[in-house]
Formats: sequence, structure tokens, C-alpha cells
Amino acid sequence: MRDREDHDERSHQRIWELLPWYVNGTLSGQDRERVEDHAAGCRRCQDEVEACRRTAAAVKGLGDVAPSPHPVQLQRVLARIDEAERQGRHERRERREEDAGVRFGAPLRALIAATPRPLRGALLAQVAIIVLLVGVLVWGELHSGARVTGSAPPASYQTLSAPAPAPGRTVALHVMFSPRTTEKEIRELLLAVRGEITAGPSPLGVYTVEVSAADSPVSVVLARLRSESMVTFAAPAAGGNPARGDR
Amino acid sequence: MPPDDELALLRRVAAKDRKAFEALYHLYYRRLFGYVLKLTRKADVVEEVVNDVMLAIWSHAPGFDGRSRPSTWIFGIAYHKALKALARRPPEAADGAEGPEPVAEGEPESLAARRELATVLGRALGSLSPEQRSVVELAYYYGLAYTEIAEIVGCPVNTVKTRMFHARRRLKELLPELGISSHAG
Repeated sequence: MRDREDHDERSHQRIWELLPWYVNGTLSGQDRERVEDHAAGCRRCQDEVEACRRTAAAVKGLGDVAPSPHPVQLQRVLARIDEAERQGRHERRERREEDAGVRFGAPLRALIAATPRPLRGALLAQVAIIVLLVGVLVWGELHSGARVTGSAPPASYQTLSAPAPAPGRTVALHVMFSPRTTEKEIRELLLAVRGEITAGPSPLGVYTVEVSAADSPVSVVLARLRSESMVTFAAPAAGGNPARGDR
Repeated sequence: MPPDDELALLRRVAAKDRKAFEALYHLYYRRLFGYVLKLTRKADVVEEVVNDVMLAIWSHAPGFDGRSRPSTWIFGIAYHKALKALARRPPEAADGAEGPEPVAEGEPESLAARRELATVLGRALGSLSPEQRSVVELAYYYGLAYTEIAEIVGCPVNTVKTRMFHARRRLKELLPELGISSHAG
């Protein structure tokens, strides 16, 4: 008798646990039939089905507060993806270089191990001299080549009229966009000036955009930005030229 | 969007197609925002968590094996990122002291009652653990099966049922307004 009551109570508990999913309509056909068979003769489960229905309706009634994505948020995610991929490439390169170092070092270590101990010092000294001589030869070759052949050296000079910054240097600009600007428009403009958002927006809506100073003078980039109606403000980020920063 | 189309989109993301990623971002942004806000109840962490989820989708899409629906996989990432974000925050005092919002003058009685119920329900949900609250929201708001919830939260089906059991008992204590009887089971 007692066993029978325990069994019934366990069956009831198993059904009771399923009721939220009976109410949301996701139970399998077999589970649904079990619930309905049991609930037909169980007042507690009938009440609980109603309680679950009321709770579900109330939870749904709270609704969903979710804004549409702002273009800038997507830009931030894309910038993080770019950064992560740059980082990944850098780490892969470092691993390759380490692997190459290991490959180069392994035969040398084997040679040292195979050399009788008294001669190891002499062997290492010879290796050091060879490395030094190779270094001197390569250095001399690199520095005499341009003079001997008369070929143009790399463009590392600057003219007086148009001082060019060192290649690879970037300049930070502060830029504000009109509120109606779409993410696509921002992206296309940044692509055109080869710029990248690196920070922002500040509470005032100011973005920091880095542009490559090697591609075109900063004044040209600023003029291009200011010519766009979507740009409400564009100026160097900190104390640079041109002095006429605001639009 | 049908799950097959979402799967195709996710496959393109796995192949590092940025257009597909942007489409997926727009498709999921509001859903993820709403879910993470319901789960964490902290508006200031939502945006960062959603961004973390999207970044994880980009990085891990090649490993998606297609055994579950894309939405299950994506909500699973969101669940774990949201819990991590909560764990990083310092503990806060419970916000159960505040009363229901005052009834505006001239407001119909039924509307006022609904607003009060929403306030009380919101507070009751807030008193649940994030793990219990997630099961309640996924079952009642998103209408998901317990097997799918188990995949999202990464635990056995019985754990999902147990969390729901405790959540239901707690809500019964706090929500006499719903006419829920006080005995559990």
C-alpha cells in the first residue's frame, strides 16, 4: 500500500515537472499524452497547468526592450575582428620564426654534442667568427650596393615644399558624423580616406579615426572629410596642423 | 528566417564572408540584446556582451557542427558570455526594497493593475538566480523545449527541470497576484 502511494507520488512529480513545457506546447506526443492522462484525474496538476499559463502570459507580457543596432556598434565589432585577425597573423608569424630558429639551432646543438668536450670552445669560437664575418659582408654589401650601381635609394627624403611623414605613420583625427549617417556611409567614407575608427564615440559623439599619413597629406584627408555633408566636425586629434580644425 | 537559411548564413560566416556576418549581426542583434538584458538585468553590460557574442560567432563558426539549430548555438554562447560578465561584476545589494511604480492619475484601473503586476513580476524574476531566470525566460518567453534549453545552458535535462522547479516555487511565494496556489507539486 505504502509502495503504491510512493510510486503514485513519484509519477505525479515527474508529470508536475513537465507542466511548463506542456503549457508552451513543446512536449513530444508521448510526454503530452502522459501529462493529459495524469492531469485528467489530478486536481493539483490541473491547478498547476493554469498557474503555469498565467505565469507564461505574464512573462510574455513584460515584452522585450531591444533597440535596433546602431551602425557604430557594428563598426566596433568589425574593428575588433580586424584587431583579432591582425593579432592572429602576428602570432602565427612569430611561431613560424620560432620554428625556423629551432630548425636552424638543432643541427648546431647536435654538432656541439658530437664534438669532444676539450674542442667545444674552439668550435664555438669558430662559429662566432663565421657569423661575424657573414654579418660584416652582408652589411658592407647593403651599404655599398646603392653607391656602386647608382640606382635610386628608397624614398627616405623629404622635399621642402611637401614634407612627407615616414611611411607607415598614422595620424589620429577627431571626427563627428551627423546623426542620420548610416553605418554603410561611414564605412565607405573611411574606406575612401583609408581611415580606421580606433576609439569613440565619446559622450559628445566624437570618434578617433586613424589615417595613414603615408598615402596623402593630412590636410588633403581633412579637406576630403569636411567636404562630406555627413561630417559635422573633423580635426587633428591633438595639436597638429592644419590650424583651421573646425568646420 | 528559416533555420536552413540561418545555417547557410552561418556557413558563409565560417568562410569569413563579412557580408554574411553583417547580415547575421542585423538578424540577431535585437534577439541577443533582449535575451542578455533579461538574463543579466544589467543594461550597462548588455552591449559589451552582445559584441563579445558576435566576435565569438565570427571566430568559432568554422567549428559549428550543425547538430543543433544555429539559434540554439548562438544563444548558448550568449548565455555563457552573460554569466561571465555577471561574475566579473562586484556583488550588489538586492533591489527588492522598492515598491511598485505609483499609479498615474486618471489611469484606467485595469492598466494600473497590469503595470503593478509587471513591476512585481519583474522584481520576482530579479530575485531568481541568473541560471533559474534563464530557464524561465527560455521556456515561457521564447517557448523553447527543455531539451533545447539544456543545450543552450549546457547542462543535463534534469538540471533544467530542477532549476524550473525551484524557480516556480519561488515565483509562487512572490506572486500571489497571479493567483498561483502556494503548494508546490
